Amino acid sequence: MAPLTLEHLTKRFADGDDEIVAVDDVSIEIEDGEFLVLVGPSGCGKSTTLRMIAGLETITEGTIAIGDTVVNDQPAQHRNIAMVFQNYALYPHMTVRQNMRFGLEESTDRSKAAMNETVEETATLLEIDDLLERKPRELSGGQQQRVALGRAIVRDPDVFLMDEPLSNLDAKLRSGMRMELQRLQADLGVTTVYVTHDQTEAMTMGDRIAILDGGRLQQVATPLECYHRPTNRFVAGFIGEPSMNFVDVTLEDGHLVGGGLTYPLSAATRENLQGHTDLTLGVRPEDIEIREGETPGHHEVPVSIEVVEPMGDGNNLLVELVDGETTLTVTVDGMRHVEPGGRSLARIPESAIHLFARATGEALHNREIEDETALLGPQG
Amino acid sequence: MGPDIAAALARLRRQRRPPEQQARTDGGLDEGSAKAPVSPVSKLWYSDAVQAIPFWLPPALLMGWFVYGAVGWNLLISLTDWSGLGQPEYTSLSLEMYRELPGDRSFRAAFRNTVILLVAFTGVSLAIGLVLAILVDRDIRFENTFRTIYLLPMALSFVVTAIFWSWMYNPTTGTINVVLRGIGLDVLASDWIGNPRTRLWAIIFALTWQFSGYAMVVYLAGLRAIPDEHYEAAKVDGASTLRMYWRVIIPQLSAATVSAVVVLMVFALKAFDFIFVMFGDNPGRSADILAVMMFRVAFSRAQWAYGAAVATVLFVMALAIVAPYLYVQYRRGAL
Amino acid sequence: MSDDTVKPTTDPTRADTRLDGVDLERISLYAILCGLIAFYLSPLWSGLTTAFKTQSAFVRTSPLAPPMPEGFTLEPWELAFATMQGGLLNSVTFVLPATVLSATLGSLAAYGLTKLSWRGQVAILVLFLAGVFLPYQSVLVPLRQFWSAVDVAGLLSFAPFLANRADLIELTITHTAYGVPICTILFRSYYLAMDDAMIEAAKLDGASPFTIYRRIVLPLSAPMFAVALIYQFTQVWNDLLFALVLVTSRSNYVVTQSLNVLQGSMVQEYNIQMAGAFIAALPTIVVYVVFGRQFAKGITGAS
Repeated sequence: MAPLTLEHLTKRFADGDDEIVAVDDVSIEIEDGEFLVLVGPSGCGKSTTLRMIAGLETITEGTIAIGDTVVNDQPAQHRNIAMVFQNYALYPHMTVRQNMRFGLEESTDRSKAAMNETVEETATLLEIDDLLERKPRELSGGQQQRVALGRAIVRDPDVFLMDEPLSNLDAKLRSGMRMELQRLQADLGVTTVYVTHDQTEAMTMGDRIAILDGGRLQQVATPLECYHRPTNRFVAGFIGEPSMNFVDVTLEDGHLVGGGLTYPLSAATRENLQGHTDLTLGVRPEDIEIREGETPGHHEVPVSIEVVEPMGDGNNLLVELVDGETTLTVTVDGMRHVEPGGRSLARIPESAIHLFARATGEALHNREIEDETALLGPQG
Repeated sequence: MGPDIAAALARLRRQRRPPEQQARTDGGLDEGSAKAPVSPVSKLWYSDAVQAIPFWLPPALLMGWFVYGAVGWNLLISLTDWSGLGQPEYTSLSLEMYRELPGDRSFRAAFRNTVILLVAFTGVSLAIGLVLAILVDRDIRFENTFRTIYLLPMALSFVVTAIFWSWMYNPTTGTINVVLRGIGLDVLASDWIGNPRTRLWAIIFALTWQFSGYAMVVYLAGLRAIPDEHYEAAKVDGASTLRMYWRVIIPQLSAATVSAVVVLMVFALKAFDFIFVMFGDNPGRSADILAVMMFRVAFSRAQWAYGAAVATVLFVMALAIVAPYLYVQYRRGAL
Repeated sequence: MSDDTVKPTTDPTRADTRLDGVDLERISLYAILCGLIAFYLSPLWSGLTTAFKTQSAFVRTSPLAPPMPEGFTLEPWELAFATMQGGLLNSVTFVLPATVLSATLGSLAAYGLTKLSWRGQVAILVLFLAGVFLPYQSVLVPLRQFWSAVDVAGLLSFAPFLANRADLIELTITHTAYGVPICTILFRSYYLAMDDAMIEAAKLDGASPFTIYRRIVLPLSAPMFAVALIYQFTQVWNDLLFALVLVTSRSNYVVTQSLNVLQGSMVQEYNIQMAGAFIAALPTIVVYVVFGRQFAKGITGAS
């Protein structure tokens, strides 16, 4: 158990005469016992980052430190790190017991009895104690997953690395395992880096999430902070399901104009724009209100409802602005009956809008939050 | 997981790390703590490339000495004038032996026979192998048995097959002539391996018997890789079975053909044992091949340098066959 | 050659002939296949019948006819075995170590190669591959020079038993060296298909490269060891060329050499020749019949 620090971490691969930058100057401080989720689309460099931490990939530039020790030049064997692989990577010719004991045998000098005791305790913890004498191929996917976890836990590593460990499970098992993993990690208190491409996993599991795109770190923050205060358009769009609506607009005479929208902006919001006029307006689907009516009021725009997707707890609507080609996704309460084809009014409250500089994607203005400390915690 | 997980864990952890227990370092390089800072030398030491050396280098050295060292040495010997007893003289080297080759009638004959053997044996083996593969692939029962029997000769030693075929070709009581007479083709019966005109072809026939099973196995793998839809599509288009194979299936077997050709040609270059057992070290000008000539010249007549020169010619021929193949495989990323 | 790839019975190429009711195509197909079996087995069959016939019987009867009681004898087998038993024993003692050594070294080399970058791997691999196709004539003269320079017998003079077997030791090492390329190629393709994550997991578990080989890779290599061992066994057992060059003392003759001698000394006694051929071929035939699948994998491994 130790903090894990990545400083200016960079990985470049040679590809023929070209050079590919897989990870570009990533710095993250992960606290002792923290659960950090590395998330991003495929090819964003998250797995490479994880593999550099593990020692399976060399580091081009920057440092990785576990506790106070820079481990750049330590081989994987010496880092006291345990990893759970996407395909579990169990040793097929060994029983569950042998699989879990292997790491202890290779990294400690303890007696066989002591190792067996540790293995059995951990197996009990994971409720796989009755499988100890079976071979991996006799186990279900969920059971193999637990063995892989157990193999990592018995090592009592300084750092846990998990590479999309739930992606081979079916959907039902996955959500159960998600909670169990979180709880296990909280109880073990081992610093954990968890890689996933699934933003739901990132949102629900991490103490903090680190969002990567194109090898660059976009934001490291708590899930809710990433959700409500994205640093840029990429994060805003990546986090949240269904994702945020974006409309390209221009600031003209205190109004946002574009895509059939003319949206008056208060002076307070305008102050945040630092003189930018080419903007992208962002608004989350749940922040748009749909009401019946003909005459649009303040911050309202007439729309036609194109598609209704009832989800049970809510309805996902696809609406199109009457005056333009812009479509917006809107989620409304599940108990409300909505028919496609009707005309309605959509209200976009100014307190909920995000504004991004269109050229750079940088967030200029994020939504208002009533009680910051309650929602995001005391940190600034 | 039960609610007492925290307590269980605490106990676990206590057991796991008795205070005197240090993580053991592997390889005994930096004793003490696994967390000691590591020097750049050690970084290099632990790199995969360095760690892999003990595994591949000794076998590579052994193989390299016996293959490449020996080929080089052979070339060197071929540049001397070494013959008879005694040791080669490496001080005066010349291409004398190679100059002698073109004028040597027995070399010319052996070279010609080698090329004939190479081409005819490979071509016939491929054709028969392809037919066998197509027949065996037509969803037959006991496929395994058929396949096993067709490939069986391949498992036999040249020494064994040469003895079998000497008997098969026996002019009076050999199976070939007995069968020919049995079906009324007495005129065809002849002393197949005694007659210089048929000797080489008799050898090619026997070698084909031995190796066509190999071509079958290679083609069978190729056929199995062709999706069923291609057969179906051809059928739907109304192609006859023959046309289907000719137009649709066989063109897709080019990769299998290329690898089978290379391997069969190299087998043909190596077909020494068979001829040596059948005819001894001098099968006569009609059936002499370079492999046998090399052995005769070097090991029976002790003309070491000249034998080495013939050996070099054989090596260059093999290289000419294999090098393009390896290059193509490399370009296709198939290595 | 594996049964996993057997086509479903709905093979479209034959659906129409099925419908005709009269399955002429099928009948002729099986007729051709059986005719081919007759062709492929005829040399073995005529050899087998001859080996059980007396001299006068095999001269008088068709080689395809089985031996009749009056012409039946086991004598050729006894005679052939008596001539060849020394060779059989010598072959057994050198073929097994040569086979195991080639396979082991091939497996080690292949494991090492998988750890290198792709470029480095391919460069070394090409060297190994070219070694598979080497015509052995092109190394014979240096081989003889090398082994006469090394003087194995002299080095082993402290152990007369081994010193007397110097020829066989040279042969073992030589066959091992020339077996390494094909074994490496076979094992490499097997290791390429092995799960990388599993090796990495073992690394993170603290295992050194050698431990990973011994505890993970080696136990999982058993199927490929079967292929490599069987292929190498038939190759080395069947070889005559290296033995001709390296084995000079008659007491060290290997089985192919003693069969060659038998053939040369009993030119007209075809029954003894055939019995000898079967005795020499028996181990490879047994191995082939039992492990046909592995053998086929071995011979197609290089292409």
